[in-house]
Amino acid sequence: MRRLWEVRELSTVAILLLEILFFAWYLWPEGDRTHPFLNAGNALLILKYSSIYGIAAVGAAIVIISGGIDLSPGAVIALAGVVSGGLFVEAGWTLPSSMAAGLLVGVAAGTLSSALIVLVRLPPFIATLGVMGITRGAAFIITEGRYFDVSSKLIGGWRPAGLPADWVPPAVMILLAVVFQILMTRFQWGRAVFSIGGNETAALFSGIAVGRIKASVYIISGLLASVAGIVLAVVQGQGKADLATGYELDIIASAVVGGASLAGGRGSVLGAVLGTLIFGVLRNALPQIPGATFYDRMIVGLVVIVIVVMDQLLLKRGK
Amino acid sequence: MPGLEFRDVRKSFGAVKALRGVSFEVREGEAHALVGENGAGKSTLLKILAGIQRPDSGELRWAGERLSLGSPKEALERGVGMVYQEMLCFPNLTVAGNIFAGREITSGGRLRNGEMRRRTRILLKELHLAVHPDAIAESLSAAHRQLLQVARALAFDCRILVLDEPTTSLTDSEAEHLFTVLHRLKARGTTLLYVSHRLPEVFRLCDRITVLRDGSYAGTFPRTDVPPDAIVRAMVGRDLPPREEHTIQTREVPPALELEGFTRQPCFRGISLRISPGEIVGLFGLVGSGRSELLETIFGLHVPQGGALRVKGRPVAIRSARHAARLGIALVPEERQRQGLFFNLALRHNLVLPSRTAEGRVVIDARGERRDAQHLLERWRIKAAGIDAPPDSLSGGNQQKVVLAKWLATSPSVLLLDEPTKGVDVGAKFEIHEIVRRQAAAGLACLVASSDLPEVLSLCHRVLIMREGAIVGELAGAEATEEAVMHIATSTELRGAS
Repeated sequence: MRRLWEVRELSTVAILLLEILFFAWYLWPEGDRTHPFLNAGNALLILKYSSIYGIAAVGAAIVIISGGIDLSPGAVIALAGVVSGGLFVEAGWTLPSSMAAGLLVGVAAGTLSSALIVLVRLPPFIATLGVMGITRGAAFIITEGRYFDVSSKLIGGWRPAGLPADWVPPAVMILLAVVFQILMTRFQWGRAVFSIGGNETAALFSGIAVGRIKASVYIISGLLASVAGIVLAVVQGQGKADLATGYELDIIASAVVGGASLAGGRGSVLGAVLGTLIFGVLRNALPQIPGATFYDRMIVGLVVIVIVVMDQLLLKRGK
Repeated sequence: MPGLEFRDVRKSFGAVKALRGVSFEVREGEAHALVGENGAGKSTLLKILAGIQRPDSGELRWAGERLSLGSPKEALERGVGMVYQEMLCFPNLTVAGNIFAGREITSGGRLRNGEMRRRTRILLKELHLAVHPDAIAESLSAAHRQLLQVARALAFDCRILVLDEPTTSLTDSEAEHLFTVLHRLKARGTTLLYVSHRLPEVFRLCDRITVLRDGSYAGTFPRTDVPPDAIVRAMVGRDLPPREEHTIQTREVPPALELEGFTRQPCFRGISLRISPGEIVGLFGLVGSGRSELLETIFGLHVPQGGALRVKGRPVAIRSARHAARLGIALVPEERQRQGLFFNLALRHNLVLPSRTAEGRVVIDARGERRDAQHLLERWRIKAAGIDAPPDSLSGGNQQKVVLAKWLATSPSVLLLDEPTKGVDVGAKFEIHEIVRRQAAAGLACLVASSDLPEVLSLCHRVLIMREGAIVGELAGAEATEEAVMHIATSTELRGAS
């Protein structure tokens, strides 16, 4: 079975490579000018912006594999950015403690979702829709229409852990993707998540602590969304209530493109991150094609459908 | 008067012969009972009558005229009204909406709600049913919902009303109301075909009783000159060969599992039993007697309301299935597809899941997992392409062996089995019985809930009989005959549990 998933991730990599090759060819410059798409600076740019989606997509993939859904990441990203940005800029907290406060926001949102799902037994769609409204609302109440200018307070040439600032978001994304990929495939906890997504009743009958595992899944999703929120605040240089609107759907789409089944029990963390890169490349390259900007959203939608249909056809042939 | 005739009706599902040439007649205007053990072919016969399934050969006739039923709608139009065991109703619709569902009265495509409400009111009055036509079905009691199905059948001018175990989910007083209505319908001349394994009900209502056994017709008896015992004998049929004597030394050790006054209303109450290591105890009861619920509660999936549970003499309150597994209790559930297997995971993951979960492992040891899975596959002779095969590539019998094997891998001291051979072929059934016997011989205490009487009698050292949530009898040794067990399981007078 694991061999099968590896194949599935390889096909996501293949799509990503094909996409890169296509844009490299299409945007090939005349003469010896630098390639507008295929250069190191642009690659870093794609990685940096994708990491906001990618970090949250790790959590989304885990939730989807467990047979649930989380609609709150976009709002949690905004609130985490607002809280840590506000504390850093206006309350004069240090950077690490403001970040820790932002992460607590994510844990709180995830805990609320899991309490509604596990204890109140609300369907995940409804529970996280509610939490989405609450967190987005909290962000607006805190900012009252202002925004916190993080960039002005960050020292120029800030090098966390010795890395150039631009490298940090991709590094965090890759680290989290690897850690959670290992947790999902090599740890009993991940096996339990897969079994709950495949057959919740059988999981209960097999002695798995279904409630606890489900709770952990939503808390992790909230936590990772808040990490993404802090990254966004740093990358964009501001904490603002209406940032990351609609990101939840892009994040879910990335997980699905990366092989996750919304029916649960199937998917991969690495696949979801690769999925965000597919969309990251699209969002980066399309504006460089004259006139393509307006087709941006439509192309993203078509790509989701085409990839998932292809996946289902391959799966059918496999059987 | 010729009524409904079944003529040499045959039906097979694969290798299983559900009906082997059944012929009998339901006379017009009579109340006719159809009885038989689970698996005797009653349900298949009813599905054919309802137009859900077609017979392989044979025919149905009504008043000498051939009835060819291609769909439930056609059956309804030809005057066959069905009241199913599991209440089919639309909980979100009104009473009137339910009665006319699928055959709404319309004019020019518009629903004539007033007319439907008017007719509903007349029907409800006939049935002495004090509910409002606009009441939402969900708000009705179980009995009223059951009667709603009767009303629905009557609204379509049915010539024969077929009731399949209609009292299963009703309380005594609710069943009483249903009976009053049925008696009134009978007096009015409606033909009734009443399917049940509750003999007292059958004797109260019906004029004649037809018995099915193993898919064959075993006779029709007029109620007036047949004692209930004769019906039971006809249901059970063959004189069984004497059972081999099981000898079990009750060793001087505390029982592996002991229950005292174990209660969870409304499923079961006051259950007391003790199982010694090495003992196989049968728990026989008909569908709805509370067997599965009892096993699931012992296994920690539900919280009991009262009573004590002791494992190896130590009182415990089991909080979850995880807790039960850690205490050495294993449950092989009734529905392997829904409750036992993960179809998104490979066989090897399925095979080691409960044992690894109970051990509280953190990291997956992939090599150990493969080795253990391979060992289990070979040890229990599970036929599969290999440990990486998906569970849905296995036959039903082998899937059942996977569920059994994954729990035996936890080295339990108490094994609870719920219908362990339901829907498996004869070969797998034999092997599963052998596995249980061998494990018991090695000291495992087994509690086998089953409605398969020959299975219970051949496998178990003694049999507890459950009816309506209570243990109503215990038989062992030569006493435990099919007749005796069925008699206790179907009669209404209580026998004290020994």
